[in-house]
Amino acid sequence: MGSLAADRWRALSPYLDEALDLPVEARGPWLAALRERAPELVDDLRGCLAGALDAEDAGFLDGVALPPPSPSLAGQRIGAYRLVSIIGEGGSGSVWLADRCDGHFRGRAAVKLLNLALAGPAGEERFRREGTILARLRHPRIAHLIDAGVSLTGQPYLVLEHVDGETIERYCDIHALDVEARLRLFLDVLDAVSFAHANLTVHRDIKPANVLVSAEGHVTLLDFGIAKLIDTEPGWHEGRSAEAVALTREIGRALTPEYASPEQLAGGAVTTATDVYALGVLLYVLLSGRHPAGSAVRSPATLIRSIVEEVPLRPSDAADDTSHAWDLRVQHAARFGTTPARLRRALTGDLDTIVARALKKDPAERYGSVEALAEDVRRALRQEPISARPDTLGYRTLRFAQRHVTAVVTAMTMVALVSVMTAVYTTRLAAERDRARREAAKAVKVSEMLMSMLTSADPYTVRTGGEPTVRALLDGGAARVQQELVAEPELQAELLTTMGRTYRRLGQFDKAAALLDQALTSGTAAFGPEHVRVAQTLHDLGVVQADRGQWAAATRSLEEALAMRRRLLGASHADVAVTLAELGRVYQDLGDADLAIEAHREALAIRRTTLGERHRETAVSLSDLASVHRLAGHLDDAERLLRLSLSINRETRGERHPNTAVTLHDLALITAARGDLRGAHAQLRDVITRTEAALGPRHPVVAAAWHNLARVASLQGSRQEATVALQRALDIAGGALGHQHQLYAIYAIDLATLHAAAGREDLAAPLLTEGRHVRAQAPGVVPSRRRSLGRVDMPPAPGVYVTRASHRVPVHP
Amino acid sequence: MMTATAEMPETTVDQQQDADALFVTLYTELHRLARRELARRGPLGGLGVTTLLHEAYLSIAGKDGAMFVDHARFMGYAARVMRGLIIDDVRRRRSEKRGGQFHITSLDAERAERIASPEELLSIGDALDELAVIDPSLAEIIELKFFCGFSFVEIAAMRGVSERTVQRGWEKGRIYLHQAIAAASATTAQ
Repeated sequence: MGSLAADRWRALSPYLDEALDLPVEARGPWLAALRERAPELVDDLRGCLAGALDAEDAGFLDGVALPPPSPSLAGQRIGAYRLVSIIGEGGSGSVWLADRCDGHFRGRAAVKLLNLALAGPAGEERFRREGTILARLRHPRIAHLIDAGVSLTGQPYLVLEHVDGETIERYCDIHALDVEARLRLFLDVLDAVSFAHANLTVHRDIKPANVLVSAEGHVTLLDFGIAKLIDTEPGWHEGRSAEAVALTREIGRALTPEYASPEQLAGGAVTTATDVYALGVLLYVLLSGRHPAGSAVRSPATLIRSIVEEVPLRPSDAADDTSHAWDLRVQHAARFGTTPARLRRALTGDLDTIVARALKKDPAERYGSVEALAEDVRRALRQEPISARPDTLGYRTLRFAQRHVTAVVTAMTMVALVSVMTAVYTTRLAAERDRARREAAKAVKVSEMLMSMLTSADPYTVRTGGEPTVRALLDGGAARVQQELVAEPELQAELLTTMGRTYRRLGQFDKAAALLDQALTSGTAAFGPEHVRVAQTLHDLGVVQADRGQWAAATRSLEEALAMRRRLLGASHADVAVTLAELGRVYQDLGDADLAIEAHREALAIRRTTLGERHRETAVSLSDLASVHRLAGHLDDAERLLRLSLSINRETRGERHPNTAVTLHDLALITAARGDLRGAHAQLRDVITRTEAALGPRHPVVAAAWHNLARVASLQGSRQEATVALQRALDIAGGALGHQHQLYAIYAIDLATLHAAAGREDLAAPLLTEGRHVRAQAPGVVPSRRRSLGRVDMPPAPGVYVTRASHRVPVHP
Repeated sequence: MMTATAEMPETTVDQQQDADALFVTLYTELHRLARRELARRGPLGGLGVTTLLHEAYLSIAGKDGAMFVDHARFMGYAARVMRGLIIDDVRRRRSEKRGGQFHITSLDAERAERIASPEELLSIGDALDELAVIDPSLAEIIELKFFCGFSFVEIAAMRGVSERTVQRGWEKGRIYLHQAIAAASATTAQ
């Protein structure tokens, strides 16, 4: 078989996907079966699959191609030390065992060569200066930093006291230390950290790998303050993109967020409370044998979510997990030299409480100092009352979360936070007006965190069911924000904007519009008329106005938001594309295809440049543009764009995401427009299943799918099915959009026509009257996709398709 | 060269030029960083290359702002540049008769090393050029893994797809390259 031509490869490609997912022994029978489906490809596929095995056996493309090696660094001199052998290598650099070689002293040390680019002489100077400060930190349990410098070739390095030992976690397990012995070792760790804090040094990177225990049981902490040393220089963040900053932070942390505190992940201030948190994680791990995030540690995304949002299991529950098999539990307890029941008893109560206090999400709620934590641990050892109080609400919330769903608990946490925060604010405002002003910046941080929690209740972000509860909780939160934050317009504007958006996503457009209107008023008062946050609120308001069918108002809001964003952010900013996309949809609703195409093309171009060809938002723009093409009858163009959009959606959002379903819906409309009614019918059924699963059965997007299914069924002659489907669409639209909405009117008239065709004039007449009345208010408008999806894109007059299906029915325009 | 955008229907001449300019900037920057890294730390380990790419990303993202906001796209370009650097190096060394032997380092625990001949790497390079025209996404996976040392997990995270999807892409790309190289050597032999 020769080199594969492009068209041949494209033909083979989907079959290869299928075959490669099969175990090797199943591929023979699969090929045999393929003779039926695609006989012309069988030989090539057999060749490819045989080649795959040959390649595998030969180790073809295994490993990584590297340029030829240069001489090893071993033997090279760094400062007063000569490198002997490499001890470890990680994201932040490599660590070498080194011997002193300047003749004055003898001794071993560890030399760390940092993967770090220092910005010129000023950066090198800062690195040396910080190093000198750390070198002054002398404590028997802290590995001494001997020297920090930059070699002649520009390589930044650290010379550290060389420590022999096991990590504390391993040491405890190897020696099967019981809970008490573990606590005593932990107190040694606290002693060292407390000393460093007294000398104004925060560790920032406490984790088992940085706590070594010698064979004699002596504890030593490594890398004190070094995380800060290798962090980026002051002022570096200014003018850099958020991604660049996040990435640097990631590199600085050497990619191990397991011990990071919520404030470190959020980019907040790192203080002694950060070390208290990391010590809490360490204690949790030592006492329970697992990480507080549980199985969420496996992926960075779930880990981060867990650190920021979730209350961990109590250590006593984690140490003896009753969902595990009995022999595993016995084995686990044996690492503590005890039985499951005794282990649980030892941890229940005070130790659970101490760990929970150290692991509070809010730094201010943790132990105020490492010494305070140490004092409680000592009291627990002496079995005296401890200072921390059990946090029953937290645990109750957790049990609730286990019984129910995370979306509910997220909303609860949000509501609890809003209540606490507003209470704190109103009290403090009365007492200390001025200080409150100075802390406005902090308030923005708080509200950002709330926003991220709020959007978790959003069906487009997660889908876990239980929507009525989420909504009820949201209502409570919204009321409090409206009433109690009147004196804090900035905070109020932000929270109202986020809540408004969330209501919109839940399909509650009236509530969303009311909140956004209020947010616009507070925002303009707080930030002035020309501000990015005002532009955001205007944009959101415009979107909801379009949802509610107020097209003139929507156009005004969105055009104003667009102009403001262009002035403030420049013409090719990603946010400009967001507004352009919404405006394009409104133009399309209004029937102005030229303006719509112009807006969507501009949005697509911006997204391709700023976000990338295969970004999920680029997919949205592709779908938007496809929709305009479809309505203009360019079915091939539309399908090509949609297929591309679909592949991006599948890749970036997954099968269950509403956007994937919506793209499939649009493809179904193309199938229908091409006359393949059976195909379109099956596709739409699938879309309904998907959208109901993703958004709940009462979402307007589901109504649109029912409406289109009704149209297809009607064209197929199944009037009964069409009537049922259309009734579903009408019920949903009436509930979610109201009886004054153009979509409700369109569904009503269509349903009336179907009833009339069935001879049920009695059912048809009231629907027709109601529908025509609403349509008369905006006769040219046909609400379009994404927002409502229910675009009637065959001939525009409602009812026409029914005449096609059955020539007896009169058309009511 | 810019085959990654060929399938996109609305690529304008301007976008094409932007993309070319971007490639040149990136190539220069990576070249500078790679030389410095080689001079400083000796051989580029797999880890060294990925670190290098992160650093290049920061350096360029800092200069050109929003142009490189998309990390995945950046890494795609960067991987192609990396491949170019390595293949060019093989060519140069071969023409200078300095022995163009390349080490292929295994990333598993034993760190077994395999020496590849310059011819083997050059033929992989040629076949990748072909694949980049037909299926740029597969070619990129090979470049990210074989020439940069990214793992399937990292590539999956970069693209926001499952690890299995990346692995399947890699297996397919490998099939293509294997067939293409076999075909090329058959032609030479005749």
